[in-house]
Amino acid sequence: MSFFIKKMSRRAIVQALIALPALSLFRKLPDADASYASHPDQSRADPNEIVEVNGWILKRSDLA
Amino acid sequence: MIFDSYEAYRAASFTPKVCILGSGPAGTTIARKLGAAGIPVVVLEAGSREFSDESQDFYRGTTVGDFYFDLDITRLRFMGGSSNHWAGWCRVLDKEDFEPKAWVPDTGWPIRRTDIEPYLPEVRDILDLPAFRPDMPISDHIRWVQLIKSPAVRFAEKFGDELDKARNIAVVLNTCVTELAGDGKRVTGARLWSNGQDAGSISADYFIVCTGGLENSRLLLWSNQRSNGGVVPNATALGRYWMEHPTFEGGNAILADYNAFEVDAVNEAFFSPTLAAMERLQIMNFGIRLIETPYPGVKSLIADLACTAPDIAEWMSSKLSQRLRCAAQLYVAWEQAPLASNQIELSKTDVDHTGVPRIELHWKKSELERRTLLEGLRLFGTTLIEKNLGRVRIADWISNGQDYPTNDETAGHHHMGGTRMGTDIGKSVVDANCKVHGMDNLYVGGSSVFCTSGQCNPTTTITALSCRLGDHLSKVITV
Repeated sequence: MSFFIKKMSRRAIVQALIALPALSLFRKLPDADASYASHPDQSRADPNEIVEVNGWILKRSDLA
Repeated sequence: MIFDSYEAYRAASFTPKVCILGSGPAGTTIARKLGAAGIPVVVLEAGSREFSDESQDFYRGTTVGDFYFDLDITRLRFMGGSSNHWAGWCRVLDKEDFEPKAWVPDTGWPIRRTDIEPYLPEVRDILDLPAFRPDMPISDHIRWVQLIKSPAVRFAEKFGDELDKARNIAVVLNTCVTELAGDGKRVTGARLWSNGQDAGSISADYFIVCTGGLENSRLLLWSNQRSNGGVVPNATALGRYWMEHPTFEGGNAILADYNAFEVDAVNEAFFSPTLAAMERLQIMNFGIRLIETPYPGVKSLIADLACTAPDIAEWMSSKLSQRLRCAAQLYVAWEQAPLASNQIELSKTDVDHTGVPRIELHWKKSELERRTLLEGLRLFGTTLIEKNLGRVRIADWISNGQDYPTNDETAGHHHMGGTRMGTDIGKSVVDANCKVHGMDNLYVGGSSVFCTSGQCNPTTTITALSCRLGDHLSKVITV
C-alpha cells in the first residue's frame, strides 16, 4: 500500500479522494431543509440558491 | 518626575491640580495632555516598573457565568498597565458603532465618531501607526477592513523618560487608591496604599480614574459603598453593561485565489458586515479574521468538500496544485449586546491585602451573539460564492448548536463598559465628557466608558477618547 502512495502524486491522491464519494451511493444529497434561502419553494429550480450541507455554504449547482 | 513611593513624592512638595489613577494608555495619555497644557498632574500607579506576582495578586477575582480568563492574568498591574502585554492591533470603532441599533436595546453613544476623529493624527503619533485606511466593500454584505498590526507601544517604555523629565507631571509608583471619598458633589480626597502599607490620603481639584476596564468599576463601587453614594450619586448602571469581544474559530474557507484579498505581513485579512447586512439580519457587528491554513489542513478540507460537492472540490484541488496557499481558518470576534446583567460586583467573601473586596464578574454571551456568529459566517460564505472566490465551511459546534468550546481563544482580553457614557443616568455613569453624573470633579478614562464595543481592539479608541478628555480638561481647568 505504502509503495503505491509513494508513487502517486499529491494531485492523484486528492483526485482519488474526490472520485470515491462521487459515487451516487456515497453522495449525500441535500434536502430542502438544508436551504436557508427565503423562498424554499423555488429553491429546487435555482442553481444559484445558497444551501448549507454538512456545514458547507454552497450553491445548489455545486451539488453534482 | 517618577517616584518609587508616596513617601518620596510627599517629600518633593509637589502640589497637583489633577490626580490620575493608573498609568496605562488612558492615564498616561491624559497626563501628557494636561502636562503639556501646564497643569500639574500626579499619576498614581499601583505597581512598580516591572511585573510582580505580589502586585498581580490584587487583581485576583472570580467569574460567574460563561468561561473566562483568570482575572489576574487578563490585565497587568505595573507602570504602563495592560499596554505591557497588548498585541498592538489597532483600529478605531466604526462610525456605526457609535449610532443606536434600532434592533438592540441600550446601544448608541452620546457622541459620534466625528467627535474623536480630530484626535486620530495624535493617536497615530502615540501608537506609532501608519495612515488609517477606509473600508472597502467587497459585496453587499461584507467589507474588507483595515486592522493595523502596530509595534505594540509599551507606554512606560515609550513615555517613561518624558514623564521622568516633566516638571509638572509626577508619577508615583507602588501607590494605589483604595477608596475615594465624596460628598455627592465632589471627590474630597483619596485613601492611599503605598509599598505595602496605608499611606494616608491625597487631595486634588480633579480626579480621573483610569485603572482599567474592570478595576474602574471595582474602585467606584467600593468607594460609593463606603461613602454612602457620595462618589457615584447615580449608581444604577455602575458596574453594569460590561462587554468583551468573544473570539472563536468559526470555520474554514477554501479560496480560489488567496491573493484576491489584501492580506497583511502574516497573510491575515479582516472582514466585517456592512450596515445594511446588520440591519437586515438584525445582528451585531463582527470581525472575521482570515488566517492561512497549513497544507495538511487544506487537503483534509478538500477531501471533506468532495463528499458533498465533488465538482467544486475538484476545482479546488486543481487550485491546490497551482499554489500551496489556498485555504484559511476563520476566526470570528464579535460585538456583544450591552446587557445590564453582565456586570462587575464586589465579592462578599474575598478581599485583597488592602481590604478592598475582589471582583465577582458576571458574564454571559447572549442568543443574539450566537446568531451574529452564525449569520456572519453565512454572509462571508455567500460573498465568496457571489464573487466566485471560494467556499466556507462552518465549524461543526456552530452548525450543531453545541456549547462554545473552552479550548479556543474565548475572548480578546478587552474589558469594556461598567462606567458607560450616556445621557440617561439610569443607564450610564459618565456624561459625554467622561465626567461622572452629578459630580463636579470626577472623571473616568479608558474602555469602561464604552457604550458599545464594536468588533475591533479597543486601545486605539481608548487613546482617542483620552486625547479628547485631556483636551477638554485642559480648557476647563484654570491654573
